[in-house]
Amino acid sequence: MKQHEGNEANGECTGMSRKRFISRRDLLQQTGEGMGGLALAYLLSRNGLLAEPAESKNLSCTGSAGVKDSPFLPKPAHFKPRAKSVISLFMCGGVSQVDTFDYKPMLEKYHGKPLEGKGEVTVRQGYPGPLMKSPYQFKQHGKSGKYVSELFPNIGGVVDDIAFIHSAQGRSVDHTLSSYEWNTGSIIAGFPSVGSWVTYGLGSENQNLPAFVVIQDPRGGPFTGASQWSAGFLPASYQGTMFRALGDPILDLHPPTGSMSLEQQRAELDQLERMNQNYVESHPGISELTARISSYELAFRMQGCAPEAIDIDSESDETKRLYGLDNKVSEPFGRQCLMARRLVERGVRMVQLWNGAVVNQNIDTWDAHNNIVENHGKHALEVDKPIAGLITDLKRRGLLDETLVYWHSEFGRMPLSQKGVGRDHNPGAMTVWMAGAGIKGGQTIGASDEFGWKAEQQIIGAHDLHATLLHLIGMDHKRLTFFYNGRNMRLTDVAGELIPQIVG
Amino acid sequence: MPSVPKTARSWFGVLSVWAIVGLLLLMPGSTILGQKGQSPQVAAVLAKCQQCHGETAQMSHFSVVSRDALLKGGDHGPAVVPGNSAESLLYKRITGQMKPAMPMAPLPPLSPEEIAAVKEWIDAGAPMADAPKPMEVTNKADDSSLLKFGSYSERPVTDTDRKYWAFQKPVRAAVPKLADDRWNHNPIDAFVKAKQEEKGLQAAPPADKRTLIRRAYLDLTGLLPPPAEVDAFVNDSSPNAYEKIVDKLLASPHYGERWARLWLDVARYADSTGYEYDYDYEDAWRYRDYVIKAFNEDKPYNRFVIEQLAGDEIDNPTFDSKTATGFVRLGPRVLDRDLENPNYRFDYMDDMARTAMQGFQALTINCARCHDHKFDPITRRDYYKTLAVFNTFVEYEHPLVSSDEWSKYEKTASDINGKIKAVTQQIAGIEAPYRKDLFQAMLAKLPADIQEAFKTPEDKRTPGQRLLVAQVSTIRATGDEDGDYRAKIKLNNQDEPKRKALEDQIAALKKEIPAKPPVAMGVRDGDFRFTPHAPFQPGTTGSVNYEEFGFKGKYMPAKGESYTPPPIYFAATGLGTFADEMKAPVVEPGFLTVLNPGPAKIASPRNSEFPTSGRRRGLAEFIASPENPLTARVMVNRIWYQHFGQGIVSTPNNFGKMGTQPSNQVLLDWLATEFVRQGWSVKQMHRLIMNSETYKMASAFYNDESLAKDSTDTFLWRFPVKRLEAEIIRDAILSASGDLNLEAGGPAFFPPVPKALVSGASIKGKFPVTKDEPSTWRRSIYATVKRNLKYPMFEVFDQSNPSLSCERRDVTTVPTQALTLFNNESFIVQSQHLAARARKEAGADPAAGIKQIYRIAYSREASAKELQQAVDFVKERSEAASKAGGNSSVLSLSPLAEFAHVVLNSNEFVYIN
Repeated sequence: MKQHEGNEANGECTGMSRKRFISRRDLLQQTGEGMGGLALAYLLSRNGLLAEPAESKNLSCTGSAGVKDSPFLPKPAHFKPRAKSVISLFMCGGVSQVDTFDYKPMLEKYHGKPLEGKGEVTVRQGYPGPLMKSPYQFKQHGKSGKYVSELFPNIGGVVDDIAFIHSAQGRSVDHTLSSYEWNTGSIIAGFPSVGSWVTYGLGSENQNLPAFVVIQDPRGGPFTGASQWSAGFLPASYQGTMFRALGDPILDLHPPTGSMSLEQQRAELDQLERMNQNYVESHPGISELTARISSYELAFRMQGCAPEAIDIDSESDETKRLYGLDNKVSEPFGRQCLMARRLVERGVRMVQLWNGAVVNQNIDTWDAHNNIVENHGKHALEVDKPIAGLITDLKRRGLLDETLVYWHSEFGRMPLSQKGVGRDHNPGAMTVWMAGAGIKGGQTIGASDEFGWKAEQQIIGAHDLHATLLHLIGMDHKRLTFFYNGRNMRLTDVAGELIPQIVG
Repeated sequence: MPSVPKTARSWFGVLSVWAIVGLLLLMPGSTILGQKGQSPQVAAVLAKCQQCHGETAQMSHFSVVSRDALLKGGDHGPAVVPGNSAESLLYKRITGQMKPAMPMAPLPPLSPEEIAAVKEWIDAGAPMADAPKPMEVTNKADDSSLLKFGSYSERPVTDTDRKYWAFQKPVRAAVPKLADDRWNHNPIDAFVKAKQEEKGLQAAPPADKRTLIRRAYLDLTGLLPPPAEVDAFVNDSSPNAYEKIVDKLLASPHYGERWARLWLDVARYADSTGYEYDYDYEDAWRYRDYVIKAFNEDKPYNRFVIEQLAGDEIDNPTFDSKTATGFVRLGPRVLDRDLENPNYRFDYMDDMARTAMQGFQALTINCARCHDHKFDPITRRDYYKTLAVFNTFVEYEHPLVSSDEWSKYEKTASDINGKIKAVTQQIAGIEAPYRKDLFQAMLAKLPADIQEAFKTPEDKRTPGQRLLVAQVSTIRATGDEDGDYRAKIKLNNQDEPKRKALEDQIAALKKEIPAKPPVAMGVRDGDFRFTPHAPFQPGTTGSVNYEEFGFKGKYMPAKGESYTPPPIYFAATGLGTFADEMKAPVVEPGFLTVLNPGPAKIASPRNSEFPTSGRRRGLAEFIASPENPLTARVMVNRIWYQHFGQGIVSTPNNFGKMGTQPSNQVLLDWLATEFVRQGWSVKQMHRLIMNSETYKMASAFYNDESLAKDSTDTFLWRFPVKRLEAEIIRDAILSASGDLNLEAGGPAFFPPVPKALVSGASIKGKFPVTKDEPSTWRRSIYATVKRNLKYPMFEVFDQSNPSLSCERRDVTTVPTQALTLFNNESFIVQSQHLAARARKEAGADPAAGIKQIYRIAYSREASAKELQQAVDFVKERSEAASKAGGNSSVLSLSPLAEFAHVVLNSNEFVYIN
């Protein structure tokens, strides 16, 4: 019901205002058998229009929905997958590794001194400053004794479920290019995103929902927006579908207020099907045409299933608190995380959540040039509780083992000061962490140098991360190819090595 | 770092096939060698298989890279039983005896000759070298024409390479004579039918006239034929009735509006830069209009090529030809601190080279950026030879007025700007003391260690303190470094009026600046190394001071000044230091060795507007020459693709070995020679194709046998139905409702999108939120193409990605398309208008309205069954509506509008039959 708030407020809710209740049996008789009628029955039940709402429980928003021809039908993995779904947590703007998970006591000792003997320091803005210690205290957590800064007390509580990688390294000091790199493997615009590759390779377990869902920060999009989840040269259908956190999750999910009632939609759909059938009969043997017929039925299942999938109001208060929904600061990302759990629970293959929007870049993203404490303090509060809640919730529902959760940013930040309080971009070292998918938690992989300036041991590039990610969901990154421009293109180009501690 | 590309191990598999060819040819005892020289054909077949069963991909766990692998087979067992083709899975699959037949779509089935060659080879024991090795590159030490540098050793381009079909000039074959005279009137038909007979396919009968006129209209103009036109055509019994329609449509200005889109896809056209800021390309639309005009004027294609690459370098450049150079510049650009990131320019040039070479030559030269091309005879040096052509470019706004008028404008503007600058300095003088105070105030807010550093006398500062001081440099009126740079410093009562007076002077001066004459976004030659540096942040690392290396030059030399093009160094990427990169040999401009082994013919044009190298002109003329084996073939294939929804070569941007081979090479070659013979006239190609029986065939035709033999309709036994492209679906809807605003050309319009979409997007350019009204009902080609914010309806309907050259649109079918077309407000409004139009034209009777909608949308009469279904539907809807009581919303749909809404969503509407 929540998704129709706007309509109800106008007193013109499609169907609602007319109080025309239809019996489910009538309806099925009227609309003929098959998916269409069931889908509508489901929709009506969601809107309280069905006289027998109890029966609606039989109508499911999961599974293949009888679809025979769709780019999203499940496809066999290359080998037995460790996880079925992926959740990407992208912290837009560049999280400082040395103020969060990559503890560097040496920074205390060398605070205020220039970084010397390490080669040329390239910063994004102006001149490099001297080394700067973290303004945060670090504390050991869990059985693993992992050091985590006081920015993330809640994530500190789940470190034993997380594998930390301190040696991630990118190739660009620019937000956009490095975001492209971690999302597509290439720093050049126009390549397919991880989620597009994953859904191209595996399809989806649920035909009633988009296979690859992106939920951006309610404040706005990240650098370059939708091109971060574009299908690149893969067929366009594999692009991420953006879900909005409030209102109708998908653009044009419902007709505008006052235009069409559900009953009208159904009647039109039936007429559409009759006309399309006439056309198919005169043009036999063309699967595209029949696929187009079922795409309309699917769309109308989605109309009910998508709002249901993200209807977090139906969650218990305890769950809401777990995700930090009781706190204004953490509520928005908490909603995103809770939606992500509901989506993977329903078989959505990949969900990408963004924290950070380029509306006011220095404030709304993690881009802490001006002041680490002000910027990271705010963003950490936004995400700490929700992320810890997500991991806890997935785990207690038995979903963590079949879900890969990975967290990162487009780059790390300099161990140097920017004007005494901020930090500049640093693609040389970034912390990435992964949880779920049966990954051994509490471990630390790779290392940056003593100041956290550059990755030093077991350097992990985007291709390595992507190869590992694909492996966990049962895909060999060398075999997941798409023929384009004369080549079998890969997410990992001609590189990519599995991270043994993750896949082992 | 593990991410660095390692050995090209994964490519060896494919190379090995060619190695096998070589080895087989060398094996004197080989059974293969003796048999009519068929073995290269087997190798070529296996090369096709490798796309899915090679080193990079092993579908069904099967690979064909070695004899062992073939004998071992994959999930379905051994592929080859030596000596017994009948028992060999490979043979069963390629002959289709076992399903699925191989190769799978999109590759065409093998030819009977290829199948015969494989059979012979298997029956001869399937000999293959056991341990295939990568092809030996026999780089002769004395071959000084090959480049050796560091670990790079350029592969030689051999006569064998040149024998590849696409590098051989097309040969005009004799037109076959068919028994059935239906196919003897147009050479296209003869070639197509001959192939069908070879494949045993039965062709469809001709389409009916109504289908044909709708097809022709949508194909050539992207608009629906008005019902009166349809009637007139149906009633015109003259023998050339159809020809007249084709000619009329080709003469229509809407022809260019439809066909330009094809080229804009190839040219990765957009109205904005993409990347983080997505700035507007304010004048990109002039290039778009140029392309539309070029199609409408039937500009000879060879001239079209030359203008886009070198419209500034040709003799007597025109406004149009200079506008055409926008082609070079339109790609995605960062345009932020480009000087500090020299690698950006290399990426831009990569974009130029790849777009030009894929677009005009269908060769993936970009694959040779880091190494010799793995499949085609394109060397890494070839790549740098091409970069040398583009390395002369500087961005330039070509004035579209006489040079007198332009200099007059420039002089006036620069005089006034000089005065403004002087006044601005006076203001700065007044503000200086305040700025000093602000700086102190800001300092006081900074951490203690910075204040301490500032207090410490310069010579006493520690190295760390020196770094801190250097970081704090600028101060803005807001009292910090990052505040609004436009904000004004607050002054006291004495100074404020003084500043105000000066500001008024500036405002008055600004009014005197004359309006800027129109300019086109393009390129000219110059020396990027001397780009005036607007010091955004002095000292930012990365930028190169070329003067320090002893270079002299000028960013844009004026007429009469000397000009030496900047050199390009082999393997330079801008990622290393310049001092290192310049140690590599300088690469001279040139063309692909395989097409042109000698030194490139490049001469500095004499009478161009500015000093210029002639390099782009040299490349353009090389491409546009009738001697070039690719240019004409590539363009006729694109035209063919657009008409039939598939190409003779199904990879229009790649005619290389990894592209698909032509399904009918004689036809392709005949068309290519005809194209040149007809003066590179695109319109003549349309006439030829559209007047063929092949084009005029029915799509509503079914034949079990043909479908089984050629399920993808590669050999065109029936006319393939084609879904309209995103833009044309929208245009057709507007043309059905009668709302289409035919205003042509000019700056882009912005289709209505939700406000939230715009406010959340990463764009610095403009994107006003508009609503449904005539100004947003223009043809889709005039809709803005924003790299970071696509119009959602276009996006879901497979619009091309404007960051890369697009050879063909995908056709995907997904539920979000249905949601958009069915629920989006714009299309609901259009349904109302279509119903209103039908009522106006046919009267209030619902049945008459329905019939009229059929005529408008489908260009045909409704059948009795269809009419009955529709009348029942409208009746049922009327009853339902009256039961429900009135719906007063402006968006509510009348029963007939509901029917119209269904029609606009129907398959028949969004497909060309």
